Amino acid sequence: MNMIFILFAVLLGGALLTFFSNKVSGLLRDIFFLLTVLAAGVFFYLFIKKGDTVSFSLAGLNLQWGLNAFGWYFSLIVLGLSTLAAFYALAYMRGKERLGYFYFNFLVSILSMLGILMSRDLVSFFVFWEIMTWSSYFIVIYNGKNVQRNGINYIIFSTIGAYAMLTAIVLVYTNTDSLIISDMITSYPQFTPVLQIFVPILFLMAFSVKAAMMPLHVWAPDAYSNSPMAYSSVFSGALSKMGIYGMIIVFVTMISYLPDSTWFKEIFAWLGAITAIMGTLWAVSQDDARKLLAYSSIAQLGYIITGVAIGTELAMLSALFLAVLHGLFKGALFMAVGAIERQTGTVNFTEVTGLIRKMPWTFIASLLAIIALAGIPPLGGFVGKWMLYESLINSNHYILVIAIFFASTAAFLYCYKFLFGFFLGQEEKEWEHVKEAPALMVVPMMILAIGTVVLGTFPGIILKPADIAMQSLGYAPTEGHLWSMSVLFNEWGDQVLLKPLVYAIAGIFLFFLILLTVKGWKTMRYVTTKDISSSGEVPLEDENLTFSINFFQPFMRAAGPVMKKRMITYYREFGKAIDILFDFTRRIYNGNGQTYAIYVMIFLVILLLLKNNLFG
Amino acid sequence: MGEILQYTWGAIVSFVLAFFVGITYMGLSRIVTARVQNRIGPPWYQNFFDVFKLFSKDTSIHHGIMHHMGPAFMMVTAVMSLLIIPIFNGGSFFTNLNFHGDLIFLIYIMVFGPLGMALGAGQTGNPNSAIGVTRGLSQIVGFEIPWVMALVALMIQYKTTSIVDLMNIQAETGKWLMFTSPFAFIAAVLAMLGMFRYAPFDIVGAPQELASGPMSENGGKYLFVMMSSGAVFAFAKLTLYVDIFMGGANNLIILVVKTFILYMIPVLYGIVSPRYRTEQSVRFFWGWPTLFGLLAILQAAFL
Amino acid sequence: MINDKNSQKIVDIIRNYARKHSLWILAYGTGCGAIELPPTMTSRYDAERLGVRGAATPRQADLLLITGYLTTKSLKRVIRVYEQMQDPKYVIGFGSCTINGGMYWDSYNTIKALDRYLPVDVYINGCMPRPEAVLSGFAKLQELIQDGKANGAKEYKENLKWYRDNQKKVITNWKMPEYNW
Repeated sequence: MNMIFILFAVLLGGALLTFFSNKVSGLLRDIFFLLTVLAAGVFFYLFIKKGDTVSFSLAGLNLQWGLNAFGWYFSLIVLGLSTLAAFYALAYMRGKERLGYFYFNFLVSILSMLGILMSRDLVSFFVFWEIMTWSSYFIVIYNGKNVQRNGINYIIFSTIGAYAMLTAIVLVYTNTDSLIISDMITSYPQFTPVLQIFVPILFLMAFSVKAAMMPLHVWAPDAYSNSPMAYSSVFSGALSKMGIYGMIIVFVTMISYLPDSTWFKEIFAWLGAITAIMGTLWAVSQDDARKLLAYSSIAQLGYIITGVAIGTELAMLSALFLAVLHGLFKGALFMAVGAIERQTGTVNFTEVTGLIRKMPWTFIASLLAIIALAGIPPLGGFVGKWMLYESLINSNHYILVIAIFFASTAAFLYCYKFLFGFFLGQEEKEWEHVKEAPALMVVPMMILAIGTVVLGTFPGIILKPADIAMQSLGYAPTEGHLWSMSVLFNEWGDQVLLKPLVYAIAGIFLFFLILLTVKGWKTMRYVTTKDISSSGEVPLEDENLTFSINFFQPFMRAAGPVMKKRMITYYREFGKAIDILFDFTRRIYNGNGQTYAIYVMIFLVILLLLKNNLFG
Repeated sequence: MGEILQYTWGAIVSFVLAFFVGITYMGLSRIVTARVQNRIGPPWYQNFFDVFKLFSKDTSIHHGIMHHMGPAFMMVTAVMSLLIIPIFNGGSFFTNLNFHGDLIFLIYIMVFGPLGMALGAGQTGNPNSAIGVTRGLSQIVGFEIPWVMALVALMIQYKTTSIVDLMNIQAETGKWLMFTSPFAFIAAVLAMLGMFRYAPFDIVGAPQELASGPMSENGGKYLFVMMSSGAVFAFAKLTLYVDIFMGGANNLIILVVKTFILYMIPVLYGIVSPRYRTEQSVRFFWGWPTLFGLLAILQAAFL
Repeated sequence: MINDKNSQKIVDIIRNYARKHSLWILAYGTGCGAIELPPTMTSRYDAERLGVRGAATPRQADLLLITGYLTTKSLKRVIRVYEQMQDPKYVIGFGSCTINGGMYWDSYNTIKALDRYLPVDVYINGCMPRPEAVLSGFAKLQELIQDGKANGAKEYKENLKWYRDNQKKVITNWKMPEYNW
């Protein structure tokens, strides 16, 4: 029996065991859950080699599963993040209801993501895609709150995407008579010009829904923010990357064969940039941490989409790097929000403040993750941003680079809001009882955060598999002329040597920190956040002086004009218009026999009038 | 080992130079302000007294570890940008880290410090600090746009992202980039008004409304490190402008003359200006400066 | 000489020289005295020549300027502000009201002698003192600082109990953090 079958059997069996052992005992269920995730990871990396394929026939369809370097690269994100999130979930979900249901869907969505990465034919790709949609949908509605709004939005958009994909698959099948993806790719240049445009557009529709690209992102803020945070980290960090995975394949294997593909790429790159800008602006205006991170995910995926659409070596490299990095820091941030939610019971910036001394480890993890998100050296985010900018400048996208730059500068605002809202500001008596989250929650997010630190100095760790993955897509090897272990180059030969820069930053920081600490050590003292210079007044214990409501009001005023209309209002208006149309059509059937007789008469008259034209 | 020593030595010498020049400039700007207001003003070395006094304050308070570290973050930005920006033409001075980072690295390291300091200011719990920080970050989003546009225009016109290369191009052709790319220079100078935070863009400190904003809880040694980092950073930024727009400098005197002329732009503009509200400031940068930035990019792309 | 208690070390001389030329003032403008400060700072008298400039918060200030009478209510705030300042710090009592109550000598809600509550380094006499007098007050303070005699903060620490008793006598709703330098 092939190893790939065993992997899926392990995951599915583990999921079922977890689900049914829930009835027996909670401990057993947890053990099964963890064992399944770990076993899948170990099994995947030990026994499944790049290049393994297995073909079989099911219900008259030729199916093919296998793993290539490109899928293997994305499996790093899926399995790495899922394993850490699984540990986190054990602590986070403790004491909640319907855990069997949650864990089952968690495992099934891991299975479906691995399935997507290993599908070599369109049918199993579609089936796994649908399994992924449904398993994530079940987790989105797990809370049972606002199911109508969160769940229906998500499933409707996913369904639109799925139909688009199905149409594309049928189109491909009728034209090539084969469902194997490689057959589709080889015969794509022989398609008719109309089909050459429609097939990728239909596929991209499906993928952009998952990658939450404007204007198909409407489901994302609610869906990301309403699933349990243990799953949100996987949802935003790994599951949305499946959209990127598909997009890269479509762009590399189809769009680049279009006779005039530049405009297509430009449109997509700009859609990515607009997604980034609007996602960032909306993230800045949120007061709910989960919503903020959800919009931030949309924005970050916007950068990746831009990189994918540009499609030069450096741009693709940066997109792949940012995909991993986004998994790392957004995973850590969602976990941190989950920890805060669990310890304080709220995730609203206007309510909870001053947790830095109570939850130091969560603070450090979110600080590192936020620095990576903002793209500030010496952490990993900078590497991805640098490559993206340089690739845009090198490939003559001058206005696009400004748009991306605007988005990533405005991202500082919500980065600061996240850290300030939760951890800094006045320490209130209300939150005095708060304790640090259990180690099972802190350790996974620390591991993710430390990952961003390591990648900041040694991006080669991830760029190497990314390079191999790109080679499997037909790119030339880039090691040595675009990157090496800790050096980055652009296409003009300018370089950033990360190692000395990081050491210099650390050296300067340590020197001045030591200076600040040693100088006047004896007469330095800590004062509480109530002991502030507020015009000689002593704030009372219960007086909350934290500034957290309307945090970026002046900026929102300045950026207001572009945020007047939300995408969802357009969809609502579209829905209303459809409603009116149907309402009008309905009036034809008014239940009066006389009217129907007149319809028949009019129809006959029209037939007679057009007789010559129609039947002549 | 020898390499590290050389880097350290270069860093120290550059730092001391930047510190002295920067602090002197702050003193001179006070004299200029005083003369405009028909006063005599303090002596030019007044700010050395201020800095030394702050350093020799006996006691100090902090509101927690982030507040304690905040000024050190600020110093990282100041010193790192000083090390990356070449101080004199043609490697006649320490090369420091000139060849290790490029303009995009510089843009990002320049916001490292303000963000780190913002975290420190946030931990004080003083509402004025937090308000000042939100204003400052909004303003960064404002002026970074024309600033980056100017830099991108230079990058695409000369097909390089390295500062040293831009300087070499000027040395070879003998033409300053402020004349060959005038729109980029105008956009960059307008962005500089926001970078230096003199009026009308002094919305972050705003002593009358915010009690000096993010710095309101910093005294003694913390304020000392902040002030010196401000001086060093100001010198580094001015040197960058001289390097990429005004042909660099071959010796200290030319550098001081050029940087001082540049420095007077925000100072003199500030003396006669009131203060903007935050959204006015942000919109100012998204208006004319951005238009000039666009013109610069158009010029670089099509001419 | 070196062991003489009254002589200063060379470090102290340098420090004091810097301190005296860099006085950042926090003006507590309670009464009519506040109006004397603008002319002192602006072009006519230009106190910035002496290194005097305004500070925004007590954390940054060196010199607390009490310009005029203090009600018992505002005394509490002044004490708070003084305790938030960083050492070395100086106090200048400004006008007759801070010395003996001045025209409020029989008022029930103002304090009469400021140095019962805060260690005053220099008093400036007058009702109100003109800017010339204010400048001479600054000059006197600078002299004291150079000689190492402006030790109000030290005195306050040493006699904290006495000051506290006096303060608590007039301030009835005493709810302040402890001063523990």
